[in-house]
Amino acid sequence: MYRCLLMHIPDGYVDLPIAAVFAVAAGVALTIAARRSGDRLEGSQAPLVGVTAAGIFAAQMLNWPLPIPGGTSAHFVGGAFAGIVLGPHLGVLAMSAVVVVQALLFGDGGLTVLGANLFNMAVVEVYVGYAIFRLGRRWNDVGAAFVAGWVAAAAGAVGVAVQLGASAAFNYELLTVLAIMGGGHAVLGLIEGAITAVVYRSVVQSRPDVLPSATREVAV
Amino acid sequence: MSVREYWSIQWIRRALILLVVLALLAPVFGVAAEGVGYTEPIEVAADETGASGSADPVISSPLPDYSMPGLPGPIGTLASALLGSAVVLVSMLALSRPLAREQ
Repeated sequence: MYRCLLMHIPDGYVDLPIAAVFAVAAGVALTIAARRSGDRLEGSQAPLVGVTAAGIFAAQMLNWPLPIPGGTSAHFVGGAFAGIVLGPHLGVLAMSAVVVVQALLFGDGGLTVLGANLFNMAVVEVYVGYAIFRLGRRWNDVGAAFVAGWVAAAAGAVGVAVQLGASAAFNYELLTVLAIMGGGHAVLGLIEGAITAVVYRSVVQSRPDVLPSATREVAV
Repeated sequence: MSVREYWSIQWIRRALILLVVLALLAPVFGVAAEGVGYTEPIEVAADETGASGSADPVISSPLPDYSMPGLPGPIGTLASALLGSAVVLVSMLALSRPLAREQ
């Protein structure tokens, strides 16, 4: 059976009060993102956002098999990439479309934890990735994209670990879950960083004009 | 913009072709990952803490685990990749109109 679990929490893993807190946090972040991004959606920006979101959905379906002992796989999440290419607010909206479709249509990520999954993948990863890219690009933009993808993936995993580790199903073993999720994704995040950097570089070479940094700084 | 206007823009045409290529790769990667017999950190964490049996979907999704009823595994994965990308693309375009107007 095809699975795509990487960062997606299923129903039953997170206590409902914790899920509710993160649903509210995600709702606030999405509202801010929607308010601040409307003026950037004119003309050719709308199809760019749509195509980027659809591309991230398709890219997430590619499970990169890693034949290490025990076997693991990694898939590109794309939060940092969305923030870099679209700017943080449109990036949040694009990632949200991906996460919602995955949960509702394909059962990848639960319904009660939709807010938590949005918070980890569509809010934390996008803003962390964008912030790191913006800090680092003055030295080397491709290198900054790599670090942004890497750290954003690890940050999203820490979000998942906190939600799971504070829940009854995981026996409140926060430190155990943090070590496994944080450690695992610190390594798997290298792949996220590499893909982010390579795709960023190809966008810069083919369409530098679409990047938000080419026009103006985006207020966070 | 109409569909025809979108299609007349070169980079959009190229991006849509790239989307189809990604979708075609999805079943290839799926089969390869199965071959490795992989586990992911979230599953390892669930096993370690005794949470493995707790996953309990509250709704049954129409296309669970990126499968299509009646289609063999890899073809179902391909169809899911195409359908999912299309739904994300169309919903994002539909959403961008009212958002742009709100300003």
